[in-house]
Amino acid sequence: MLERIARERVATLFLVTLIVLLLVGAAAPGFLSTRTASIIWSNGLVLMLVALGIFPVILTRNIDVSGGSVLGLSAVTLGLTVNAGASLPVAIAAALGAGVAAGALNGGLVALLGVPSIVTTLGTLGLFRGVMLIATGGEWIEELPQGVKDLSGKGFVGLSAVGIVAIALIAAVWLVLRTRRGHWIFAVGDNREAARHLGLPLRRIEFLAFVWAGAMYAIAGIAFAAQIGFVPNQAGSGMELRAIAALVLGGISLLGGVGSVAGVAIGVIFFTSIDTALVFLKIPAYWNDLIGGAMLLAVLLIDGRLRIALEARDRAARYRRGETSPSRTGDLEEAA
Amino acid sequence: MAPMLAELGRVSKSYGGVPVLKGVDFAVRAGEIHALLGGNGAGKSTLMKILAGLVAPSAGRVSIAGASLHPPTPAQAQAMGLYLVPQEAHIFPNQSVLENICIGLPRRAEAYRARIGELIADLGVALSPDAKAATLEIADRQIVEILRGLVRDAKVLILDEPTSALTPHEVDTLFDRMRALRATGHGLVFISHKLHELRAVSDRITVLRDGYVVHSATMSESNDVEILAAMSPGVAALRDRRADRARAERKTLEVAGLRGEGFVDISFDLHHGEVLGLTGVVGAGRTELAETLVGLRPRAGGEVVLEGRAFLARTPRDAVRENVVLLSEDRQQYGLFLDAPLYWNTSSLVHYLLPFLLRPGKERARFEGYRKTLGIKCETAEQPVRSLSGGNQQKVLLSKCLAAQPRVLILDEPTRGVDVGARNDIYELIEQLADAGTAVLLISSDFDEVVRLSDRIAVMAGGHLAGELPGGSSTDEIAELAFESREAAHA
Repeated sequence: MLERIARERVATLFLVTLIVLLLVGAAAPGFLSTRTASIIWSNGLVLMLVALGIFPVILTRNIDVSGGSVLGLSAVTLGLTVNAGASLPVAIAAALGAGVAAGALNGGLVALLGVPSIVTTLGTLGLFRGVMLIATGGEWIEELPQGVKDLSGKGFVGLSAVGIVAIALIAAVWLVLRTRRGHWIFAVGDNREAARHLGLPLRRIEFLAFVWAGAMYAIAGIAFAAQIGFVPNQAGSGMELRAIAALVLGGISLLGGVGSVAGVAIGVIFFTSIDTALVFLKIPAYWNDLIGGAMLLAVLLIDGRLRIALEARDRAARYRRGETSPSRTGDLEEAA
Repeated sequence: MAPMLAELGRVSKSYGGVPVLKGVDFAVRAGEIHALLGGNGAGKSTLMKILAGLVAPSAGRVSIAGASLHPPTPAQAQAMGLYLVPQEAHIFPNQSVLENICIGLPRRAEAYRARIGELIADLGVALSPDAKAATLEIADRQIVEILRGLVRDAKVLILDEPTSALTPHEVDTLFDRMRALRATGHGLVFISHKLHELRAVSDRITVLRDGYVVHSATMSESNDVEILAAMSPGVAALRDRRADRARAERKTLEVAGLRGEGFVDISFDLHHGEVLGLTGVVGAGRTELAETLVGLRPRAGGEVVLEGRAFLARTPRDAVRENVVLLSEDRQQYGLFLDAPLYWNTSSLVHYLLPFLLRPGKERARFEGYRKTLGIKCETAEQPVRSLSGGNQQKVLLSKCLAAQPRVLILDEPTRGVDVGARNDIYELIEQLADAGTAVLLISSDFDEVVRLSDRIAVMAGGHLAGELPGGSSTDEIAELAFESREAAHA
C-alpha cells in the first residue's frame, strides 16, 4: 500500500483529487456536474499551457521563471497587432513569434553562454515585462475583437479552439517523450556529465527546451487574451510560480530527469479544482492562496515522508538479502 | 603493420597555465591492446579524454580512423567508432540499466535487450537490465559502463581502470572479452595501476610521466623494473612489508557481536598501535561495518567498547568527539568539498572546534603543516580540491582525518585511484600513525596492500567474518576465505 502510494504519484494525486471533489460535492450540491468539469478545464487551461512549457525545461534540470512575463508579452503582441488591423492568423503568428524569440533568448543565454537558468530567467522576467509595458505605454489593451474571443468559445464537442490545441499539445509532449531522442531530455537532467560523455547534443536539447517553453507561453497568452477579452498590464504575473508548484505536485522533480505528462496534467487539474471548489463552498476568493498553499505543503510533506519510509524499506530489503548470501551473487548460477 | 585506428600527434594541454600534457604522441592499432600507465597527474586520463573529444587539446592533432579532427566532439568520436569507459561510472540514476546502456545508440533500447543479455551472461555478472540504476552498487555501475563500451562495438575501446571494482573472476572474463575484441581487429587502450593486469593482456605499453611519454615499447620488451623506474624514478617498487612488531596488550576498540545493515555478528579487537586489515570482496559488508561504527548507519545490535568504555556513535559527530574517524572510500562523493579551498577541507571534520569567528590564517597554517608532512602538491592553500590530481586529493582527505587526531582511524580503500608514488607515501604514513599509537582499521580490496600493511588480517564474506589470519599471510590464503562463497556460485 505504502509502496503503491509513493511509487505511483500520479495515480495517488488523481485519487486525492477525486476524493476532494466528492467531499466538496457532498457539501455543495450541484458541484458534481459536467458544467463544473468544463469550468475547471477552462479555468486551468492557461496554467496547463504554461506548465507544459516549463516541464521540459525542468526535466533538463533547468528552471524558467520568465513564463508569466512571456505570456504577457505575447498577449500584448496579439492585442496590438490585431488592433492595428492585422488579420487574426497574422496576429497569432506575431504572438507566437514573440514567445519563440523570448524562449530563444533564454535558451541562448543558458545553453550557449552558460548563464545559470535561474539567473537568466530572473533577468528576463523583468526584461520581458518591461518590453511589454513599453509597448503598451503602460495601458491595458481593451476591446479585443470578437475573433479573438471566439478562440475560447464553445465549438467541437463543447471544446474551444484553444482547448483543442491544448489537448493536442499534451498528446504531442507525451509522444515526443516516448521517442528515442525525447528520452535524451530526461538523460540531460538526470546526469549531465553522463549525457555529455555519451555524446548527446546537450546545448541543442537545452536550447530547444527553452524555445518550446517560449512557444507554449505564447499560446497560453493567446488563450488568456481570448478568455478574458482584454489584456491587463499584469497579465500572467506570478503564473510561472503556480505552474512550477503544479509540476512539483504532479511529481516532476526539480532536480531534473523525473516526471511525466500525466503528472503535469493532474498537478494542474488538482490546483484548479481547489480554486473552483472554494467558489462553490462560498469561501471568499482571498482565501484561495492560503488554502492552495497549505494543500501544496501538505501533499509534499506527506509525499516526502512516504519516500523516506520507502527508501528505508528498500535499504532494509537489500541488506536482508546480504545476510544470507553475498549481495551480488544472487542469480549467478542462472547467468553462468 | 596493422592499420592505425586512432592517433594523437604532439598533443599538449594546460589548465590555467599549468601544463598537463607536453607534446604527447600516442596511437592505437587494429588488433592490439595498448597499456597506458603513469602516476597521478601524469596526464593519462586527460590524454584519453582528448581522444574521446571530452577535453579540447591546447595544441596537437587528433585523428580517428584516418580522419583528422580539430578537435573531435564526443558525438563525432563515438560516431567514428571510439568509446571511452571512464574511471568513474557516469550513470543516469532514474533510468533502468538497459536505458543507461543504450542511450545515445541509433535504435531504441529494446532493440539491444537480447545482445545485452548475452554480454551480461558472458561476463558472468548478476545484473538485471530492468533494475533502476540508482539501486546499483559501485561495482555494478562500473559494469554498466563496460557494457556501454561493449555493446557499442567500438573499433577503439578505451578502458580507464576498469578492474578497480571487479572481483578476480570478473576481471578474468573481462580480459577474455578484451582478447576476443583484439582478435576481431579492434584496438583497445587499457589503463590500470596494476602491472600484473597490464602484463596479462597488453601488447604494447606507453608510460607517461609529468606530461611526457617516458617509455613506449612492446610489452614483451619491457620488464617491470624498467616500467616502474620510468613511472617514478627513485622509487624502485612498492615498499616491502615491515617486520612483525610486538602487539601492544592495550585494546583500543573491542567489537562484539555487532550487527547492522549488510553484516551480522562481527567481533574483533583492535589494539593500540595496530594495523588490522579488513578485507574481502565488494559487497562483503566492510564499508557498512565502518559506517556503522562512526554513526553513519544505524546499529542493529552488538557492543562496542572504546578504551574500556561503551561506545555508541549515533551521528558521525559523536564519533569524531571520541576521536574515531573514518576515511571514506569515495572521496569525490563523500569525502571532499571539491570546490572549497584546500585548507577548508582540512578543517572540515573538526569544524565544531573552530572559533565562532573563523580565523583563516590559523586554518591555513594547519593545512600548511599537513601539506609538508603528507607531501601534498599544490599551488596555494586557497585552490579548490577539484584542481588536484587523485593522489593529492586523497592526501587532502587524509589531512582532514588526521586533523581530528584519531585514536581509531578507519581507512576505507585509502589508495583507490592512487599511483605508486603517492601509495608509498600513504603506506609510510599509516605505519607512522600506528607507531605513534593510533589503532588503524584498514579496509581494502587490494590483498597485496592488506598483506603489506597489516599486523593481523580479518576477512569478511557475505556480511560475516569469514576468518582471521596472522600478519604476513599469503594473498592466496585471503582469497580462499574471501571468495569461498562467490567462487562456489561460479562453479
